[in-house]
Amino acid sequence: MIQVAPKEIFSYNIINLDNVWASYDGKGYVLKDVSTSIKGGINFVIIGPSGSGKTTLLKIINGLVRPNKGRVRVFGVEAGDNGQFKALTPKIGYIPQNLGLVKNMSVMDNVLMGSLHRVGNFRALLKSFPDEEMKSAEEAIKLVGLEDKRDRKVYMLSGGEKRRVAIARAFVQKPSLLLADEIVSELDFVKSKEIMDVIHSVKQRMGITMVMVHHDLEIALDYADIIAVMKEGVKIAEFKPNELDKDSVTRLFNGHEA
Amino acid sequence: MKPKENLLLSLIVGAVIATAINTGFDPVKFVEGVPNIGVLISEMAQFDSKLLSIAFWSMLETLQMAFVGTMIGAAISIPLSLLAARNLNSKFVYAPVRAILAGIRTFPSILWALFFVIVVGLGPFAGILAIIMYTVGFMSKLQYESIEAIDPDPVEVVGAMGASKTQLIRYVVLPESAPHLLSQLLYMFEYNVRQTSILGIVGAGGIGFYIIEYIKFFQYGKAMVFMLVVLATVLIIDWISTKIRDRYIVKRQSGK
Repeated sequence: MIQVAPKEIFSYNIINLDNVWASYDGKGYVLKDVSTSIKGGINFVIIGPSGSGKTTLLKIINGLVRPNKGRVRVFGVEAGDNGQFKALTPKIGYIPQNLGLVKNMSVMDNVLMGSLHRVGNFRALLKSFPDEEMKSAEEAIKLVGLEDKRDRKVYMLSGGEKRRVAIARAFVQKPSLLLADEIVSELDFVKSKEIMDVIHSVKQRMGITMVMVHHDLEIALDYADIIAVMKEGVKIAEFKPNELDKDSVTRLFNGHEA
Repeated sequence: MKPKENLLLSLIVGAVIATAINTGFDPVKFVEGVPNIGVLISEMAQFDSKLLSIAFWSMLETLQMAFVGTMIGAAISIPLSLLAARNLNSKFVYAPVRAILAGIRTFPSILWALFFVIVVGLGPFAGILAIIMYTVGFMSKLQYESIEAIDPDPVEVVGAMGASKTQLIRYVVLPESAPHLLSQLLYMFEYNVRQTSILGIVGAGGIGFYIIEYIKFFQYGKAMVFMLVVLATVLIIDWISTKIRDRYIVKRQSGK
């Protein structure tokens, strides 16, 4: 689990969006001419009101949504339905807002699912995971503080615990890039901080690049290296947290021009 | 809106009346026949308790036939329903599998039993084969419908982590639909016990053979013994499966 990232990734742009337009129905655009580049190793946080295109932006990066116009490149590969990008998917972790956990399986099983891409079909069918995968799953569960619930079925857990399971699963996948959609929404501030601290420490240790969508401005300011503000499908600002004073950030967050 | 609804309603009522007349539906005849029910009941009341042990053993055979048939049928249904699910396969896979399943479903189990009596001869084996066919046709449909209804998010997310399709089925699709599959299995077994009870009519083994033989010779009292045993068995199975359902299925769904 503990793995030190090569230093050189920090200076490269690993995600490039060039004038991206996206629409689900071909009529209204959810993303309008969005461009940005994201450097390796940083925590890139997207904020904005609901319906502003934040989730779509994440899905564009992991290839679940295809742009209508513009270019998306991740690790230098054009995102989309091609073999080269498919081969990259194990490197991209994704935690959607509703987590996508398998409710009828235990915490341990859910966390182990992150390692499936390294395990052969036959061993997976028999549920006989290699020792090192078992160990890294145990470690991840400990890291998110669920060791006493490792055999509990997911449907029995609280909302915050479910989030921890999804985070542990994403870490076991050992991604180079982790996309997380509102990972601390619906949690109180203290719990949000706890979870963000866990994510942050692992991110630092493994050198993961993170792209997160947040609802809470405080959280975004505390953990982001770069903040992008979305409004009605348009990226209206992108800045480092220390570049702007809190008032103008709040104004931006509420959808006003700075 | 209103006149349209009235028109529709009168059309339905008209259709019911027309079809009732066409098929000789006659309430008067029923009222005239009511005394016959009394005769039947009084004859049935001549309960022959010496037959109870035969009834018990033939019911046990029926239960075993239903059990083997349901289990083998369910085991065949799972791979078929995975192939028939639209969320897992392309049209070229699911469409032919669905067509075959629909074909199997066209025949009621009694016709399958008749067919297998011709193929493998009289006896319980023909009955088991009939139950297997019926279970495959029916249960695959129930199963692929619940597989299609599973939460799409875990499939999407675990797939995006690089899991293969086999792994997705093993870790997401089957566990997510497991409570439904279990519930369907219980339902199918109950249903098959009832079905197997009448397969004896065409010589495919089980308790139905006795029932039909006694009815043929107007020995309603003797037939009644066997029918009561079927009734008692079905009630017991119903009770047990309610317990299993409460324990394993209801709790999971409310726990979300």
